[in-house]
Amino acid sequence: MEQSYLGQLNLRLNSQPDCVHILHAMVEVMAMRVDLTDFETNRVALAVDELFANIACHGYSSAIGPVEFEAKIHHNDAGFSELHFKFRDYAAVVDMSDWVCGGDKPCSAADITPGGLGMQLIHSIMDVVEHQPLSGGNQWLLIYVSQQQSCVKGEEHET
Amino acid sequence: MKLDVVMEDKGEGIVVLRVDGDVTLQTSPRLREALKPLLTKQTREIHVDLSAVKFMDSSGIATLVEGLQWAREHEGQFVLHKLQMMVRDVFSLAKLDMVFDISEADA
Repeated sequence: MEQSYLGQLNLRLNSQPDCVHILHAMVEVMAMRVDLTDFETNRVALAVDELFANIACHGYSSAIGPVEFEAKIHHNDAGFSELHFKFRDYAAVVDMSDWVCGGDKPCSAADITPGGLGMQLIHSIMDVVEHQPLSGGNQWLLIYVSQQQSCVKGEEHET
Repeated sequence: MKLDVVMEDKGEGIVVLRVDGDVTLQTSPRLREALKPLLTKQTREIHVDLSAVKFMDSSGIATLVEGLQWAREHEGQFVLHKLQMMVRDVFSLAKLDMVFDISEADA
C-alpha cells in the first residue's frame, strides 16, 4: 500500500486562500481510504487547513507563493494507519516561537497571536508536528495516527 | 465556496447574525465584514446563529473573538447559538468553549 498509487497524493498549488478547499477535499479522500470517522476527518482537515493558513498568511504574508503538498498513508507496527501530510513552501524561514498560543491553559482573547491559535489546534490534533527550516523555505510534516486498525478501502483492487 | 451572513435587527440594540456555510481562511472576511459594523456603543446584544455552519477554522474563531472583546469593553452580550458538533469541537480544542457564551437555544 505504501508504495501504491492509492497510498499517496501529491499536489502543487499556491497560497491563495481558496486553495484551502482543495486541501480539504484531498484530506477527505485520504481519510476515507483509511476509514476515519467523520469526527476524525474533520479534525485532520482542520489541522491541514490551519497549517496552510499559517503558510499563506504568515509565511508568505498574504502574498501568493508556491506550496507543495503530499498526503501519504502508512501502516505502523502496531497495526494502525497513519496519515502523513508534508508541506513545502518557499517563504522566509519561520520562527516558530512567534506562533504560540495558550499552551495547556485556556486561551483568552489576549493570548491569540497571529498564527498562534492555528498552531494550538494543529498540536492538539496531530500526533507529530515537525518543522524543518530549509535554505529556500520551510518543510512541515504532520502525522495523524488513526485509532482504527489498518484497513484500507480499495487496496484489494491494487495491481 | 460561499458564506452567507444575514443580519436581523431586532430593535433596542439587539442584532442576530445568521451564518450559513464553511468559515475558512477564504470566507471568514465575509463574516468579519458583517460583524465589524455592529461592534459599536449602540449595539447591546449580538447573537450569532451558527446552526448552518459545518466547519470553522481559526480564522473564523479569531473573527468571533473580536465580538467577544467588544462585549467585554462595552458590557454588551455576544452569544453564539446552536453550534454543530464539529464546530463545537474546534472551540473545545482551542480551549475557548468556556470563554465564549454558547447557547443551545435558537437565536
